[in-house]
Amino acid sequence: MSRIIEEIYVWRLPVRLYHWINALCIVVLSTTGMYIAWPLMSAPVGEAALHHSMALWRYFHYVVAFIFIGNFLYRMYYALLVNDQYARFGGFRPWSPEWWGVPFKEQVASYLFLREDEPNYVGHNPVAALAHFVFIFCGSVFMIVTGLAMYGENNPGGFTETWFGWALPLLGGSYGLRYAHHLVAWIFPFYVIVHLYAVFRHDIVDRTSVTSSIITGFKHKVEDEASV
Amino acid sequence: MPTTQTFAEVFESRGISRRDFLKFCSFTSVSLGLAPSMLPKVVEAMEKKPRLPVIWLHGLECTCCTESFIRSSHPMTADLVLNMISLDYDETLNAAAGHQLEEIRKKIMKDYNGKYILAVEGNIPTKDNGVYCMIGGESFLNIVKETAAGAAAVIAWGACASFGCVQNAHPNPTGAVPVSEIIKDKPIVKVPGCPPIAEVMTGVITHFHTFGTLPELDRLGRPKAFYGTRIHDKCYRRAFYDAGMFVHAFDEESTRKGWCLYKMGCKGPTTYNSCSKIQWNAGTSFPIGSGHPCIGCSEPGFWDKGPFYTRLAEVSFLGTDTTADKIGVVAVGAAAAGAAAHAAVTAVKKQKAGNDEKK
Ligand code: HEM
Ligand code: SF4
Repeated sequence: MSRIIEEIYVWRLPVRLYHWINALCIVVLSTTGMYIAWPLMSAPVGEAALHHSMALWRYFHYVVAFIFIGNFLYRMYYALLVNDQYARFGGFRPWSPEWWGVPFKEQVASYLFLREDEPNYVGHNPVAALAHFVFIFCGSVFMIVTGLAMYGENNPGGFTETWFGWALPLLGGSYGLRYAHHLVAWIFPFYVIVHLYAVFRHDIVDRTSVTSSIITGFKHKVEDEASV
Repeated sequence: MPTTQTFAEVFESRGISRRDFLKFCSFTSVSLGLAPSMLPKVVEAMEKKPRLPVIWLHGLECTCCTESFIRSSHPMTADLVLNMISLDYDETLNAAAGHQLEEIRKKIMKDYNGKYILAVEGNIPTKDNGVYCMIGGESFLNIVKETAAGAAAVIAWGACASFGCVQNAHPNPTGAVPVSEIIKDKPIVKVPGCPPIAEVMTGVITHFHTFGTLPELDRLGRPKAFYGTRIHDKCYRRAFYDAGMFVHAFDEESTRKGWCLYKMGCKGPTTYNSCSKIQWNAGTSFPIGSGHPCIGCSEPGFWDKGPFYTRLAEVSFLGTDTTADKIGVVAVGAAAAGAAAHAAVTAVKKQKAGNDEKK
């Protein structure tokens, strides 16, 4: 077994909190969202006015949606304005050809088994950074914008509709918008699988304790020798 | 009909009392969301303003808009509106026909240049130079362009002219497009629906006649007064929706009890229209009132959002039976399979690397 030669404090508390709040929100939003699409529970007995089964599922979706939005905005603040070298956006520059250069190619090659060694990064590796950007950043922005556009629909001319209603014509009207929100919701279970697999695999292959790092904050550097 | 005829004379000749006339005016101003103080203005415009010349064109359509229009709730509503405007060209309603009628169109365009209203019912086929809709030897495409040139404003009647209806559903063999794709330099009001509600149609005309402008439009170009809210937000079955009491099949007890049609594919939650407010045929009923889910006929591309009786539409270019959920399940399955395969390769490689070490 290789020896741990260094402990590095990578994920500071705000980052870890963000991660777990986000994870929880995504799970709840996916479940409540799918419930809104496919309300499975059997009808309650008695007067309709006394029951709120569907209304409550929707209500939970919105409550958690606003926690999700707040958490996301907090993370954006942290990435842009707080000087945390592992959590800021600074290193992620997909608009520059340089960023797609050697480190990125090495990492892709490694994932495709075209290289023997595993490149090692303290923070996110470039492929992970890109995946987070596409799925978590773009995905969340899309869900938030389409979600708020739908949320505003019951009060035309109100605040939410005024600021987010422009998404309706872009997606072919109310139905297209709802459909897009539903379709893109699927990227989250997709990403959770890929993400969990990648994390567990890295932990086993390069033993950096990446799995526990999101709880403790610490990643480990191990002796670069292969195990005996 | 001579333009000099006063409204009083028109009413008299048709046996409409002044009381009925005022009732129509107040109904229309209320449904347009006008302040009560505006009522005299509407009455005055209806009585005194010179009649508004309207050219009503019919393209690729089924005439359901016209059928709806001439059946507006008060028997005399259409009558009134037909008197208020001077509908000199309308293939369906005019007595004249053929070249005679085409001449009338040309004459209005000349005499009222920049003042007349162009009302279009139907899609405009654009493929093969528009040969799929020819009127009097001319393509509808050219007729619309020609007639719109001198119009003050354009009214797009129905789903066809507003967004495109069954004719331009996937795969749209005739290249049919709504009016807004052809006419870009004129104010257009879209009055979608298949057909639109009669009172909505008369309301739009009354508004233009009274104020000389189009009513306030929403983001999709529809008058806010009628398309401002969703069917779902004013649906009388909403209590069942909130309670989670849904119809699952048309031959169920729940159908007889009138529960919410959400799971039967009701598009009420995503459809802006006045059906659950004004209703149809003098407030007799509307689709949901008759136990049928809303099919969303006033929304863009509603034919491609089917089947009508399921919530989640099929993605037409991926073939039938492909819904957002199918795509999602396949993607998630692929992710799981990919991860498993990747894990297997990793394990084999590790094993091999370990063996090499030991050697
Ligand atoms: C991870 C993020 C999210 C996921 C996975 C998600 C998932 C879903 C799903 C699957 C639906 C059902 C769509 C349908 O009817 O077919 C839905 C509906 C909806 N979601 Fe989200 N959602 C997310 C975030 C948000 C956010 C941030 C908002 C913002 C307020 C939001 C607001 C809504 C609204 C308003 C509806 C429509 C509910 C209704 O009208 O009954 N969602 N969501
Ligand atoms: S029947 Fe349709 S419009 Fe009415 S409450 Fe149910 S889903 Fe909404």
